[in-house]
Amino acid sequence: MAVQGVEQTILRDPALFYWILFPISVVMILTGILRHYATVLMNSPPKSASTLAESRERLALLRVVNLRNHASAVLNRESFEMRKNYMVSGCRNGAFLKDPNKRGQPPANPMTDPAGMEAMTGMLKGNMMMMIPQTLIMSWINAFFSGFVILKLPFPLTIRFKSMLQSGVMTRDLDVRWVSSLSWYFLNLFGLQSVFGFILGSDNAANQMAQQMGMANPAAMANPLQPGQDPDKLYQNEAENLEVMEHFCILDGVEDRILRNFAPQSI
Amino acid sequence: MAGPFLDSRDTSGSDLISALRLSQQAPTILRLGSGTKSASAPDTAEEYGRIERLFMACLRTGDDESAEACLERLTRRFGPANERVMGLRGLYEEAIAKDHSALEECLQGYEKTLSDNPVNVPILKRRVALLRSLNRSSDAITALIQLLDAIPTDAEAWCELADLYQSEGLSSQATFSLEEALLIAPNAWNIHARLGELLYVCAATPDGTTARLLGRSVQHFCRSIELCDDYLRGCYGLILASSRMLEHTDGSLDPSLPTKKTLTQLKTFALQKLAEIVKARSVDEENWASSRSELIAAKELLNRFEQ
Repeated sequence: MAVQGVEQTILRDPALFYWILFPISVVMILTGILRHYATVLMNSPPKSASTLAESRERLALLRVVNLRNHASAVLNRESFEMRKNYMVSGCRNGAFLKDPNKRGQPPANPMTDPAGMEAMTGMLKGNMMMMIPQTLIMSWINAFFSGFVILKLPFPLTIRFKSMLQSGVMTRDLDVRWVSSLSWYFLNLFGLQSVFGFILGSDNAANQMAQQMGMANPAAMANPLQPGQDPDKLYQNEAENLEVMEHFCILDGVEDRILRNFAPQSI
Repeated sequence: MAGPFLDSRDTSGSDLISALRLSQQAPTILRLGSGTKSASAPDTAEEYGRIERLFMACLRTGDDESAEACLERLTRRFGPANERVMGLRGLYEEAIAKDHSALEECLQGYEKTLSDNPVNVPILKRRVALLRSLNRSSDAITALIQLLDAIPTDAEAWCELADLYQSEGLSSQATFSLEEALLIAPNAWNIHARLGELLYVCAATPDGTTARLLGRSVQHFCRSIELCDDYLRGCYGLILASSRMLEHTDGSLDPSLPTKKTLTQLKTFALQKLAEIVKARSVDEENWASSRSELIAAKELLNRFEQ
């Protein structure tokens, strides 16, 4: 173990700072920015429905959910029962489906279904964007800089931090405050998020704007269906939810509520 | 200050004044934007939202040149194939159309766009609006129903449908449509008040359901006041609906309807509240300019009930 109370000194070449610490940080920041722009470039916006029937299949589900959630705030008993009957029977016999004849068949294999395929490649692209640069940089650091001690933290730490700060340096006796080059890479990897926020704008807003403007109507773009999900099952589910719903209406007694809460007592 | 609009119709007077003010600044705003690019035209969604509003204001006040410049900027940024830009372009073309046949041409243009992409929502909506302004209400209703069948979560379209139905005199369908809009936005006090107004108008045709319609109307006005407690329109409607209901309650004891005592209290409350609102807003110069017509109508109502 390191001798207690004695300051460890290691004679470091100041060139270590310019040739290892500084390059690693710069490279990390640059790849972060590059990755951001590559993601923006490859990001495909969620596809909107291409036919009216497809759009109905997606949004009618939201309509049923809306009815279930908000009926108590708006509808009186008759209009609620009317809507409920319509929605339940519509959900049951597949009136809202894109293709009512295909009910009951197993959903298309996402590998052959072009829409599902697209969603999957989208996910894959996102993951690759993270994986590839990190693998490259880490192997670069491992190949060139492994084993360097490049930095001494100005504050003491407990022994537990040893594995975090000194990966790649197999020395048991070294004080925890020394940081190895590989660890500096990891610290950068996790710690640079706020720097990117500063450089690229908070929430990286610039790239989302084109989409925001493009969506004339965000409601029309929403898609509750995940790829590979059977919409018929979702509708059957909703029909059941709706069927067990009890009607109550907050408009009942609103007159007395108004008088009690808003009117002065004198009236 | 905006003299010629003093005697314009009250429904749009307040909006026109602000639209006029905005469009008068259009050359300045546009020059700022197109001049030194880096300094004054940030590439943000708010900026483009502002240009879009400016475009609308310019069209309303007849400044077609500035409107075209706005549209040009939006097209340059988002491309002519962007759905929203296509909608705005359609609006512009309708606005500069000289006669009936030019409007028909616009309509054909929309049909063509829609055959390429049937879910182009802005164009679908423009088509409905154009059909309506060509006085083809039933076609507009059919088109709007098609739109809503595909996109049933669009509150704006439901409100428009309600308006169309009401202008055709189909009040129960209009009620249904407004209820659908409310299901999407259950806390929109203006739609609650709108539904209250609709029910109040429905109740004017004498048949067995008058009392029930008036009861629902009162409920919706109450709800709109509950959601926004100094909503002038809600108070106004509550006064009218409750006093009409007081005239109509002839001892028929329906337990679902409010009693005479409650109605009298509601009416007194609404009158007080309206007087307060009018008093507070008349003092405020800014407010007075923008909601003049509303306030005048409210004052007139108060005077009527004082006598």
